[in-house]
Amino acid sequence: MADRIPVGTLRSIVQLVRLLGLYARMDVMWIARARSTAVTFYLAEWVLGFGIVASTWLLAERFDGIGPWSRAQVVFLLGYSLLVRGVVDMLFGWNVAHISRRIGRGQLDHMLLQPVPLWVLVLAEGFSPLSGSGLALSGGVVLWLSGEGLGVFTPALFVLNLLASVAIVIGFSYAWASLAFLAPRAAEEINSSTMDLIDQVRAFPLDGLGPGLLGVLLSVVPIGYVAWLPARSLLGLTDSPWLVWLTPLAAIGIVSIGLSIFGRGMRHYRATGSTRYLALGHRR
Amino acid sequence: MLGLEWRQWRSTAWLSASAHLGDSRLFVFDYAIRALRVAVLVSIWTMLIGDDPDSSPLPLPALLTYTIVAEAFAHAIHLQTGLANAFWNGSLVNYFLRPAGVVRQFAAESAGHAVFDFMLFSLPLLLVAACLGIDVVPESLESGLLFGLSLLLSLAVGLAIEFIAGAIAMVSEQPIWLIENVRRALSRLLSGAVLPLAILPFGLGDVLEWLPFAATAWAPLAIYTGIEGGTRLIALQLGWAVVLWPLALGLWHWNREKVVAYGG
Repeated sequence: MADRIPVGTLRSIVQLVRLLGLYARMDVMWIARARSTAVTFYLAEWVLGFGIVASTWLLAERFDGIGPWSRAQVVFLLGYSLLVRGVVDMLFGWNVAHISRRIGRGQLDHMLLQPVPLWVLVLAEGFSPLSGSGLALSGGVVLWLSGEGLGVFTPALFVLNLLASVAIVIGFSYAWASLAFLAPRAAEEINSSTMDLIDQVRAFPLDGLGPGLLGVLLSVVPIGYVAWLPARSLLGLTDSPWLVWLTPLAAIGIVSIGLSIFGRGMRHYRATGSTRYLALGHRR
Repeated sequence: MLGLEWRQWRSTAWLSASAHLGDSRLFVFDYAIRALRVAVLVSIWTMLIGDDPDSSPLPLPALLTYTIVAEAFAHAIHLQTGLANAFWNGSLVNYFLRPAGVVRQFAAESAGHAVFDFMLFSLPLLLVAACLGIDVVPESLESGLLFGLSLLLSLAVGLAIEFIAGAIAMVSEQPIWLIENVRRALSRLLSGAVLPLAILPFGLGDVLEWLPFAATAWAPLAIYTGIEGGTRLIALQLGWAVVLWPLALGLWHWNREKVVAYGG
């Protein structure tokens, strides 16, 4: 099997594994540097997680469910939604998910200078198994509290949908972040807006939306795949069991589009470089 | 003296509003996000209450008005100055060097943004909502006038909370974005900006309306929609403004030397 993988790719994979270990160690050192830091950080994450899901949960309690969703199913949706956000935080922390900040601030150069392929750094630099785990843990607890298990399908399908939702968040984020190649200052915080959009809509059942708006949320702005559609299909609330494969399929399409747009941005960046980077490290 | 202060305030607000347009035309993206959020909330209210009006303590038209007005005045009821950003990028020191009060500068900047947003986003939102049949005018003339007063008090309380959060970042020596995330999460949940407090289960609304967060959103919105009378809510807002401002100014006065820790 190993002979079929090109030597360069194999070397990159080895580098990736080493870097993941390195970033995990640094993350432990960062969070454990003082007890107050760790306590404040986890408390803040839990408050944030509760803030993301509380409105929908309170609505479900008040109205004994939301539309076709029972209370337990709404809790499952919220747990899934938090878990997606938590996995994004764990694997793509430190502004790797908010890549527009790195591009806009000229910090992408810090990555390009390293003798490692960019994709390896994207997969390694945001790895924060401790500092990024607050929301993932909350999501796990909320899922457990829902009493719905991992849905009506196999655990493998749950994991596949979860990873697909994470990939969709990142693909969407990178597609928009590419604007920062063209307008570094104006688009530096564009990923704050994309993430805000996802955070504010992810935890709501979208069943009541009209077909036009729902179409937008399942195509141009693919928030429907971040929690609503996968949770709905995993719980067996859809008409066809085959819809459980829709989120993974959408992930392939959205990540491909995101990578293609990002690649075009990179080609532009190779010609222009960063207009905001200064030798002393501060941005204009 | 007052004339000079007013000119400073007005110029800062104008600079802030024009910078908003000049620095980043991508604010349109933020408007799209806000419009989408409103559409989702409106559809959820309609789905929940449309078929069964008795299921809710508040009628559907009042909830829709509440949602639209909350978004139209989001700048005031979710008051966010540039304080956190100034902490983060070290530009806070510039505010201390200028010949104007620090609080006044942040308030003026925020007002500039708010006016700009109101013209470009809130007015069109109110117009579109009205065209779609959502009643966006205040419950009565008295409600409208009291809403104006309540909104001013909401700004006063929101600004005090903003500066207390900044002071907590100074005192605790924790990253400002951590404190800011917590403040935003708590504010969104406890203020009644997303869900009216009267609709919360377990009697939570009766407790939350006594907290300062409710003075920023629930009070003006409940007055506007006629869900509650104004006198008690305005008295509560006034009380919180009187309590929080000395606290905010005191915390800043006692801890301002720690600001240098965040410079650079």
